[in-house]
Amino acid sequence: MAKQFGLLARFKDTPDLFHAAEKVRDAGYRKWDTFAPLPIHGLPAAQGLGRSRVPVFTLIGGFCGFWIGLLMVWYMNLYDYPLLVGGMPFFSPIFPFPIAYELTILLAAFGTLIGMFVMNTLPQHYHPLFNSEQFLATSSDQFMIAIESSDPQFNTEATRLFLEEIGGTDIQVIEE
Amino acid sequence: MSTHAQANSSDASIAFAQTASVRASRDYTMPALIVGLVGTAIALLGFFTGMSAGDSRPLFSWLIGLSFWLSIAIGMLFMTLIFYIFHAKWPTVLRRQLEHGIGLFPLLAVLFVPLLIVPFIHDDPGILWKWMNAERYIVGGGSVATDPLFLHKSAYLNIPFFIGRVIFIFAVFAILGYVLRRLSFQMDKTGDMANFHRARIFSAIGIFFCAAAVTMAAIDWFKALEYHWFSTMYGVWFFAASMRAALSVTLILIVVLASRGVLKGLFNQAHRYDLACLMFAFTVFWAYISFSQYFLIYNANIPEVTFWYNIREKNFDGSLNSWWWISLSLIFLHFLVPFLYLLFYKNKVTAKRTLFIAAWILLFHLLDIYFNILPGKLPLENPAELGYVVRQFSITFYDIAALAGIGGLCIWSYLRSMKRVAPLPIRDPNISASLAHHE
Amino acid sequence: MATTTSNLPTCPAQAELLDQIRPAEHKETPLVGNKRDFPWVTEKICTIVESRVPTWWWVAFAMALFTASFTGVGLVWLVSTGVGVWGLANPVNWGWAIVNFVFWIGIGHAGTLISAILCLLKQGWRTSINRAAEAMTIFAVVCAGIFPLFHVGRVWFAWWLFPIPNSNAIWPQFRSPLEWDVFAVSTYGTVSALFWYMGMIPDLGTLRDRATLVLRRGMDETLTPLQRKVQTAIWTLRKYGYGIFAMGWRNAGNHWRNYEMAYLLLAGLSTPLVLSVHTIVSFDFAVSIIPGWHTTIFPPYFVAGAIFSGFGMVLTLMLPLRALYGFHDLITQRHIDNMCKICLGTGCIVGYAYIMEFFIAWYGANPFEEFAFINRAFGQYAWAYWIMFSCNVFVPQLFWFKAVRRNAAMVWIMSILINVGMWFERFVITVTSLANDFLPTSWGYYSPTIVDIFTFFGTFGLFSVLFLLFLKVLPIMPMGEVKFVMPQADPHGHGFGDTAQGANSEMKGGAH
Repeated sequence: MAKQFGLLARFKDTPDLFHAAEKVRDAGYRKWDTFAPLPIHGLPAAQGLGRSRVPVFTLIGGFCGFWIGLLMVWYMNLYDYPLLVGGMPFFSPIFPFPIAYELTILLAAFGTLIGMFVMNTLPQHYHPLFNSEQFLATSSDQFMIAIESSDPQFNTEATRLFLEEIGGTDIQVIEE
Repeated sequence: MSTHAQANSSDASIAFAQTASVRASRDYTMPALIVGLVGTAIALLGFFTGMSAGDSRPLFSWLIGLSFWLSIAIGMLFMTLIFYIFHAKWPTVLRRQLEHGIGLFPLLAVLFVPLLIVPFIHDDPGILWKWMNAERYIVGGGSVATDPLFLHKSAYLNIPFFIGRVIFIFAVFAILGYVLRRLSFQMDKTGDMANFHRARIFSAIGIFFCAAAVTMAAIDWFKALEYHWFSTMYGVWFFAASMRAALSVTLILIVVLASRGVLKGLFNQAHRYDLACLMFAFTVFWAYISFSQYFLIYNANIPEVTFWYNIREKNFDGSLNSWWWISLSLIFLHFLVPFLYLLFYKNKVTAKRTLFIAAWILLFHLLDIYFNILPGKLPLENPAELGYVVRQFSITFYDIAALAGIGGLCIWSYLRSMKRVAPLPIRDPNISASLAHHE
Repeated sequence: MATTTSNLPTCPAQAELLDQIRPAEHKETPLVGNKRDFPWVTEKICTIVESRVPTWWWVAFAMALFTASFTGVGLVWLVSTGVGVWGLANPVNWGWAIVNFVFWIGIGHAGTLISAILCLLKQGWRTSINRAAEAMTIFAVVCAGIFPLFHVGRVWFAWWLFPIPNSNAIWPQFRSPLEWDVFAVSTYGTVSALFWYMGMIPDLGTLRDRATLVLRRGMDETLTPLQRKVQTAIWTLRKYGYGIFAMGWRNAGNHWRNYEMAYLLLAGLSTPLVLSVHTIVSFDFAVSIIPGWHTTIFPPYFVAGAIFSGFGMVLTLMLPLRALYGFHDLITQRHIDNMCKICLGTGCIVGYAYIMEFFIAWYGANPFEEFAFINRAFGQYAWAYWIMFSCNVFVPQLFWFKAVRRNAAMVWIMSILINVGMWFERFVITVTSLANDFLPTSWGYYSPTIVDIFTFFGTFGLFSVLFLLFLKVLPIMPMGEVKFVMPQADPHGHGFGDTAQGANSEMKGGAH
């Protein structure tokens, strides 16, 4: 028999999922997640997750962009090939500002997208959950919680009972 | 839901408001009044002695002090209008504070009167706004009366029209402030939605008049100090600066009120966060407006407009003057520091941290007012000689007196207004949503 | 979470205050009409992509392709002959090319405004229109890009615009606003595409999951084997096509958490970006010393104008879509009202700028500047000026009236007038200042040639082709976000309309 990934349980609606998530969090599980077709207000906190770290990537991207912009103009118009145009200085912090500004935003945006992927460990085109037809319905209108067997507290029977207790239905074993 | 009868609530709310605010925290009404009266008395003493001695500096003190407090009230008025127009729900909990702020305009109008009577009682009517004195020497030779630029502009820059505009500006602000306060206070009593709808309609129409008034104020009171200079962006700058000041003051008010008394805990983290986000947005907007104005003038490099920035950087002989440092501090301390500071989540939600940055912005807003008002091109003693003197940056005793005095009177009026009504718009349709606001 | 509301009041006076809070009744129309549920939303949006395209689509597509071919003809003509075939001649050396460029870039701005600024302002109503508006942004940037690209004359050297070492070892010259434009517009295009793509990931995941389910359950038994094979192939293509770009999205709580943060950040980045793009476009004019161009209000005025024209375009596109796809429950009257009001507001800002320019042209006491503006309003291009003024300032005033906003046909016509007016605004700014500048002996009158007209006319076709393809291939509304503003999304079991009441009674519970 294939290795077990974990248990998947279905919940009726948003409030049910929300309260169940709070209970799973309070029960001390670590390797588990909720699945819903929409972002739910306050759910990360109910799941015991802190604020997302994506901003760090944004900040790094933006910082690099700004200095790359300024350095690029300095290098090209003053250092490598100074060219006198309209009596304006070869370099000044003022006229390259639009360039530095645009690059700040460009690299910050790339940083954000990359940050989102990194923090979500995507791309990940295969995942055991995709094997479950019930799970595939999540993206339309279902609410699920999956607890992974790699969780130290996991015990197939006890966890199944626990999921039932907090309102889960159609509990399935998901295989790797 | 509450089962209280409708009829009792209106009387109860007023009685309650009177007792509660007194009971909850110390009453600063009298101290504010005393500071206000003493400060304005000193500043006005300086104003009139300076005037008779031909020293314009105390007059500038008065203009700076008045502009600072006026910009806050104007910003609060704009905030109220914008919140109504956008039907914003979360700020309902702080709207009462704005409503106390927009009640200040009649007082501020009275405090503007000394500036208006100067041209009538002084033998140099142009001591503050130099175009008011046709005989005044100007840099580059000649007098105002022979200045072709002035002659061209005299259809706009003349004393009767100027007074008319001052009346228009204050009338717009005061009437709008009065109407919005009245409708909101009515709402407290009756809970009739007609008040709310009317307030929205007044806001939508009123914002046009406010835009006109704030533009005129910026042109007449600040830009016309150096009447040669012109910039189409200037009215927008004053709007942006006022918004920053008003947001900071509002934040300080709500955080202080929420830390004690009846409003304790009612302004929560989410309110602070959203208000701080608005502060951030207007920090960027202010920088955008100020930078664009500078950038376009710098790049086009046309002397008829660059001189305004030149005197804020250099003396006639090309040496850097005191304004250079003020300019730099505006870029780095008025923009960059708040910008970086407000990027961080914690700085937007922790009460003490938001207080710090609000006070910081307010301080540099004052410097921005100085920067826009005070520098001037003064002719040399001998008008035949080439060159000019730049009025340098300084903080005088009268500046402080005017700021404290006008501020004291504003706070006094504010606190009196607070006693009259409940501290929240209790019957506003969005008040519960606002109280329950969360991130 | 609502931490403070559950706190007990700290003093009797506060209890008394909270006790008095009795908000007046105020009914708000819901953002999703007819009390629809989640599956309905998913079905509604996914079926558009999954089912056969309707006939009108093919008709529209053929027409759009035909129109787009005009741009092809114009460009081939231009490249094979030289820029002389455009109507440019001294003194007007910036004609339709820059007008069209600014026009299209401006249109794009509403998309970013809806997806970014309205997101920051927590305007829930944006959700059903933002995907289409963002698509509009990207396609508008594509159309806009054509003009400066071909305006360089030898289009095969266009890569010299970018800071890439070339055979002459000369770098781009960063003191020119045109070089800033290169950076601004390419950044704008890229970031808009990133934002668009990231917002689409969950929906692509939904389409992937639906395709997978269909494949697992097998095709309809009533079909012939061949039909079944074709169907299987199509669904497999969908599964992998959407699957690759969905990147393995699983709708996990953790995913949504990072996604929402990234979305917010991209919104926060796009907001200053959208301001900067049209600002830099306005710098093209404003850093010069041409009368009528050098005015400091240009940056915010251009931005407001861009948003104004963009919302005009959103209305032009969304009203027919709403009728064709039956989106009346997703794009409600409330959405239309809001868009009309934004048009009204931005139209008035533009009006403020027109008046301000005029006033300062006089107040500045520069005779050339003054002439430039009098010439605009009463000179040889007065007709263009008054078209601009009436379409941009007078027409939107009708949006004050509810009856007008509720009349879809009227709103649609007005939205087109707004676009006409905004095109003329750019025309007036560009052409009048150049045609009559400092030296009266060199004054001229500019008219476009047939090549100009072909190229511009065709861009509408190009835009429509891209937009129709988008309608067919991609989910036209962000399903997750639409669901987010529905009452069922509330984790505390009461809809948005009742949140206030619920929280209030919670608070009361504490007080008593």
